Amino acid sequence: MCSISRRVLSGTTRLARPAAVAVTLAAAATAVASEPIVISCGACQESPSDPFLQYNYEATQRFNTAHERRYHVQVRQNQYANSGGPERLQYYQRLAVADDLPDVFLLNASEIKELRQTGKLRDLTQDLATDISWRDSFAKDVFSALSDDNGRIWAIPQQRDAIGIYYNRDMLASAGYSDFPETWEDFEAAAEKLKAAGHIAIALDGAWSTLLMWSNLIGTHPEANGFLQEGIRYADDYPLNPAVVTATETLKRWHNAGYVNADAFSGDFQNAAAAYLSGEAAMVANGPWMVNTQLRTNAAIEGLYERTGYAPSPGWEPGARGAIVVTGAGWSSGHTANDETAEAVLAFLKFLSSPEEQLEQARLTGARPAVKIEPEAIVASNLEPLGSTLAEQADSLAFTYPHWRVHAPGLFLEAWRNLWPAYVRGELNSETFLQRLANDAGAKPRG
Amino acid sequence: MIRSGMRLPIALSLAPGVALFATFFVVPFALLVTSSFSEWSGLEFRFTGLENFQRMLADFVFWRAAGNTVFYSAVGVFVQVPLGCLIGIILAQKIRGWKVFRAIIFVPWVISGAAFALVFSMFYNPRFGLLNDILALFGFASRHDWLFDTSTARFAIAGTFAFVLGFTMIVVMAEIASIPKELYEAAECDGAQGWRLHRYITLPLLRNAIGTCVLIRLLSDIGLFDIVYILTLGGPNDSTVTLALYGYRAYLSGEWGFASAIGSTILLIGLVLILSVSRLFRLGERAQ
Repeated sequence: MCSISRRVLSGTTRLARPAAVAVTLAAAATAVASEPIVISCGACQESPSDPFLQYNYEATQRFNTAHERRYHVQVRQNQYANSGGPERLQYYQRLAVADDLPDVFLLNASEIKELRQTGKLRDLTQDLATDISWRDSFAKDVFSALSDDNGRIWAIPQQRDAIGIYYNRDMLASAGYSDFPETWEDFEAAAEKLKAAGHIAIALDGAWSTLLMWSNLIGTHPEANGFLQEGIRYADDYPLNPAVVTATETLKRWHNAGYVNADAFSGDFQNAAAAYLSGEAAMVANGPWMVNTQLRTNAAIEGLYERTGYAPSPGWEPGARGAIVVTGAGWSSGHTANDETAEAVLAFLKFLSSPEEQLEQARLTGARPAVKIEPEAIVASNLEPLGSTLAEQADSLAFTYPHWRVHAPGLFLEAWRNLWPAYVRGELNSETFLQRLANDAGAKPRG
Repeated sequence: MIRSGMRLPIALSLAPGVALFATFFVVPFALLVTSSFSEWSGLEFRFTGLENFQRMLADFVFWRAAGNTVFYSAVGVFVQVPLGCLIGIILAQKIRGWKVFRAIIFVPWVISGAAFALVFSMFYNPRFGLLNDILALFGFASRHDWLFDTSTARFAIAGTFAFVLGFTMIVVMAEIASIPKELYEAAECDGAQGWRLHRYITLPLLRNAIGTCVLIRLLSDIGLFDIVYILTLGGPNDSTVTLALYGYRAYLSGEWGFASAIGSTILLIGLVLILSVSRLFRLGERAQ
């Protein structure tokens, strides 16, 4: 090899080394730059039995695929992900104390009230204010249960459901009712006829479905004075509110008149559901998700879904019906700083509240979207008709109200389950029952 | 006398055990006792002296919980243990099919409390439960709600204890197997027969085993929680609530200091029971 060539090669080598180093550094820098921002989700685990969790899981996978290089949502296993009892609140309170809340997770309204006191929840008010189109995409009043008294928003609504009463059309027709009763008086008359025919008029469980009926009796009462929206938090309001007293005594009367199932105190909704699904009971109160989770499954007798109607609550006066309309839960964040992670959190929350995802959630779970969606899109998505019809109907009813769980104090359900059977059996009078319920539930005195 | 060269190796070998004991016993115990004199919700901590204990003693639910706990413990000691002993003594005679009976009786003790409670929630169910069906066969047809009627709830809970005899039975059978046969042969030569053999040989020699069963039963019942929580949640109207459940309610309502005071009380009662039963049964002493 000639000397010129050697010099050229030697020069090339000298140039190649720094170039290779530069390329390697650039590649490393690119790799670092393309490393996605990882956030954790405490309600996104796979679940073959819970359609809501399963939807969350699938939505997470779609989000990760769509934002492959920028964001990644990591599933954090959580045994309380699909429960809403005091154990879940305690779990999150412990995580808050340890500064270890997930970046994104689901909370119901009463849990938000307790958990925001830890100072570890993200205040989403500003995030919504800086993205007007996102804020305006939500349906009417969906933030009310997820906000505090100062209007600060602590969660992004997961759904907006109208909750009604399922009824067996054939059984009601056999009692002489072609339509669902419009007043509580008619309702009791129908219950009497159903009982006489050997049916269970309404299936209750001493907990969830019993309290839905209690909410309906209070919510449609003209003197409720916002008990379900606010008064339920205050101990003084329980025995003094005429709507609460009337509702409680009416519900007790149904038990003593024999309109309900014998295991109406079990505290297990499955007992109430089984009475309806087996064709023994004519009515049961529950949310629209019951269609997909039970009514259209093998748990129900054949053809029950086709014979089922879904009605709003009767009212105390003709033409004064009502329905529970509720944003049962919302997506909260345990990431309070405004940094790259917050950017990923907000991207995920916006993804979950996009019309496409809300419709997909509605299709999988039966829950209604919390965002405004064009009627054509709803029709095109072919949503389950029972829940859809009630949701549309709810907007024109005389009363809409949340159910008990939205604003009740933390131990309300435990206190109710403890005292309700004794009250129905006459061991406590209405005043004592309601006062003890308020105290044991943890309701505070006003002021 | 430990040789000076051995002190370090001994200290090192003891260190892991001491560390574990301190971490999982001493620290939680100190935390429990300290916080029982405080108002604590996980966020704020404030010493309040004896306030939690005063409040506890003034609360009628505490006394109801204490009464129920005593009742469940009494059922455990005076029903479960004697029944378990009786079955253990009978099966130790190796009667026909004793292995099958032993397995059947032992199974409820092995399955989890939660699963056991769920089985009984169905057994007592007034609409489709087995108990009302069985009673109907004997002419007592009713749809009585055993778990949610204050007059029967406590007994319904205690009734589940009758199915958990496996532990006492096994301990008694194991102890009987260790009694020398010569003792029985000698007694028979002296004219003792049948029940008198058990009265004068088996039972006195079972003293340690029975005492151990009583102690374990008491300690288990003093902290009874799972079956009551799942079946009735302590209701109706606190008629089935136990001290452990009472403490748990306080914990759920964020009153950790008050919950600790209840926990400390349970601990104290447990300590008194251990000492009393150990002394009563002279546990650890060789049978005469």
